[in-house]
Amino acid sequence: MQATKDSFYIALRDRLVTVDPQRTITLDGATRPAIVVAENEPPGAVPPACDAFYLHWGGARAALPSSSGLMEMECAISYRTKGSDANGNLDRGRDLASLDNDVLAICSPPHIEKYDYSTGAGVDLGSTIFWTLPVFSALVNAPPYVGRDVSVTVFFYPEVNQT
Amino acid sequence: MPETDTDTSINLIPGRSEAARRSADALLRVMGGQEITLRLSDPSAGDTSSQLGITPPTEEDVQIAPAVVDVMPPSVDGTMRVQVMLSAKALHAIAESYGVTDIPLWLMATRGLVYRGQMLTIRSVTSNSFAGSNYLYFLVATE
Repeated sequence: MQATKDSFYIALRDRLVTVDPQRTITLDGATRPAIVVAENEPPGAVPPACDAFYLHWGGARAALPSSSGLMEMECAISYRTKGSDANGNLDRGRDLASLDNDVLAICSPPHIEKYDYSTGAGVDLGSTIFWTLPVFSALVNAPPYVGRDVSVTVFFYPEVNQT
Repeated sequence: MPETDTDTSINLIPGRSEAARRSADALLRVMGGQEITLRLSDPSAGDTSSQLGITPPTEEDVQIAPAVVDVMPPSVDGTMRVQVMLSAKALHAIAESYGVTDIPLWLMATRGLVYRGQMLTIRSVTSNSFAGSNYLYFLVATE
């Protein structure tokens, strides 16, 4: 499963660099593309950054028909923005739309080669993962922020000897 | 309108906020004057391994004194909670050496406190101020 999580994140991160290179955040003193796997970050109390995508992995189960060995895992991509101070934060709806567009762009095409990153460098595992089109939640309005949760189901074949 | 050290037009003593800091320090020493350990993470390398949670950033421990640690009633789920009263004078000196301007945010972003060999996560940071300067910080940390 870990290879699926890592491959999905790396794919979305690299695509984000291509489609919106200006969308970066500084976390723990390092500037990086504005996409983060929540479970890979320190378990501190710092609230999520604005204008960044946070991946939250959910449950996994056998995809039907279960005899094929194919599994599916839920991934929620959450993000929020408060617009820009220069525009009196009136552009938060437009900023949210920009984030929505980025999600659509980085989730397409909905498949990628699966790699094992456990040693740091990616080792091709000879299979692919693929996922559903993103499903956008209703707007989450928590002044001064507006945000959204996007759900994607990722399909994969588990690697038995994989950590 | 809050008073500040620039309120010299009404003949207030410049630098009087220092008196509150010294008094707070003295109070903390009288109450036990413990030393606490703050665990800081060094800046992340920002590479793929750190983004995937494979390579953790290096850490360092910083001792701050005087401080007073009070063990609070446990949380509803039974986890230990402590409140730490911390000298602003000592904390400001350390924060300054790290180039920190927003101390509460910096404290919240640290790995946490080490108390009796256990790592506690800082949940909240509040402070008391006088004449525009903080003289005492209160941290609440939990397991």
